[in-house]
Amino acid sequence: MILLLMFVGLLVLVTLSVPIAVALGIVAVVAMILTSGAAVLPNVGLVMFDGATSFPLIAIPLFILAGAIMNATGISRRLIAFASALVGFIRGGLAMVSISASLFFAEISGSAVADVAALGSILIPAMKKRGYSTPFAAAVMSSAATLAVIIPPSIPMILYGVMAEASIVELFVAGIIPGVLGGLLMMLIAWLYARRHDFPVEDAFQLKRVWQTFLEAGWALLLPVIILGGIFTGWVTATEGAGLAVLASLVIGGLVYRELDLAQLKDAMLEGGIQTAVVMLLVAASALLGDFLTELQVPQRVAAGIMEMTTSRWAILALLNVFFLAIGLFLHSAAAIILVVPIVMPLVRAAGIDPVHFGLIVTLNLGIGQQTPPVASVLVTACSVAKADIWEVSKVNVRFIAVLLFVLLLVTYLPIIPMSLVDLFYR
Amino acid sequence: MASLALIVLLGVGFRKFGAALVWYDEVAAILLAWLTYYGAALAALRRAHIGVPTVLQALSGTPRLVMFWTAEALVLAFFVVVAWAGMQVLAVIGGDSLVSLPWVPARLAQSVIPIGAVLFILAELVSIPDGLREDDEAEVHEPT
Repeated sequence: MILLLMFVGLLVLVTLSVPIAVALGIVAVVAMILTSGAAVLPNVGLVMFDGATSFPLIAIPLFILAGAIMNATGISRRLIAFASALVGFIRGGLAMVSISASLFFAEISGSAVADVAALGSILIPAMKKRGYSTPFAAAVMSSAATLAVIIPPSIPMILYGVMAEASIVELFVAGIIPGVLGGLLMMLIAWLYARRHDFPVEDAFQLKRVWQTFLEAGWALLLPVIILGGIFTGWVTATEGAGLAVLASLVIGGLVYRELDLAQLKDAMLEGGIQTAVVMLLVAASALLGDFLTELQVPQRVAAGIMEMTTSRWAILALLNVFFLAIGLFLHSAAAIILVVPIVMPLVRAAGIDPVHFGLIVTLNLGIGQQTPPVASVLVTACSVAKADIWEVSKVNVRFIAVLLFVLLLVTYLPIIPMSLVDLFYR
Repeated sequence: MASLALIVLLGVGFRKFGAALVWYDEVAAILLAWLTYYGAALAALRRAHIGVPTVLQALSGTPRLVMFWTAEALVLAFFVVVAWAGMQVLAVIGGDSLVSLPWVPARLAQSVIPIGAVLFILAELVSIPDGLREDDEAEVHEPT
């Protein structure tokens, strides 16, 4: 009964446009008073503090900071130049550059929104100038950024790892093969589209230019090697790797390239602080509600209820996929992970699904959610950079969303694709 | 944020040199909590918290105003409760100190809850005109 009231209350509050984090808090506080009386209220202060002190989650502001430094020091520009020398000669060259630069950039920032904002503001105008249609430019940037988020490091994966108590390092490793596979598929789609619409090629392929831009970008290309190498070999934890990313991008940007736009960095840090706080307030408020749900054994009951209907792992995965795709339409991915993952984890474990495998499924699912309106953070960012209409962009974007869905199906039903590297190195 | 990066790096540095800093993860985690609540107030000032304003945006006139003020009142009420609860916690923990750094009072760490909540309330109040005016252009402040 109280559960039903809580759910309805939450729904009403969110519909009223109360921020989700505050809505969670209100529902939890009211439920606490109803069940245990006002005497327990001081606990609110304690739980809200403890809920915000998670060591693994420190990686989130640090990776945001590293991405901001990369932008303020011209590292992203050099990555684009290198990608352009490498794949620019193909038909629709700039689209190829967008996809491959996204995959590179993702190896340092871990956020699709940051990816699209940083690279999109350079590449979308460039594509428009070369005669690409605006909706196509926005769509390719937007979808490539989402795909890139499954390539480590990845902020949604860090959140998932904490919420599901799964290994963040293994999640990172699991994303590599599907990410690269999806990138190649997207390039194929972009190439077909470019051929049909006769988009231009960039400069012809020259080994000399590749070498030159490689030397320019060499240090920047070293960044992922340092960060991911450190994390994967177990030399540093994911959080410490994020700290390392900050240091390495500062050293490379500030000392090697000697470019550091301090004003831009300050703005980016402020924005990064806000982004972190928005997510962390959700985490803290959900801790308040989480205690309650655990007490009522909600996740266990959900698991038991669904296991009664079916025990087939594949059916349960299909069910969860549909569920997460539906949620992704209406919720931001951070909010969805924080709210839903703790509730479905007992089911996932009971069905014998590997939490790392499931983490990749969730990340991809919610990534697709970032491309599908009404709530689609990455698409909205791409459209605002491109000054394009969301629906026009979506018409082109359907092709790239199809690639993302295809990768999702592969990852879901051929666990060997994400898990082979994990099994090889960590199990 | 910068100090958070610094502390994590220091922590790694010292550990690699064989002299692990016992306090580094506790202090870093507390800094994250500070970033959370001071940042949350800043986010409130910019109306950046994640919500679902679809229904509000679809309305106009009196229904919109009623809904807006109800939501505002609820948000403010919640943070009044949090501020009060935070003060109670400060009173209860009294002279306790951090586990790893005995000379730092736990009150200092915990003070972020009541202070952050009061700042949140102020930021929410100051930004009410923005909230009223807000057009339907959504800004994205999400790190994923």
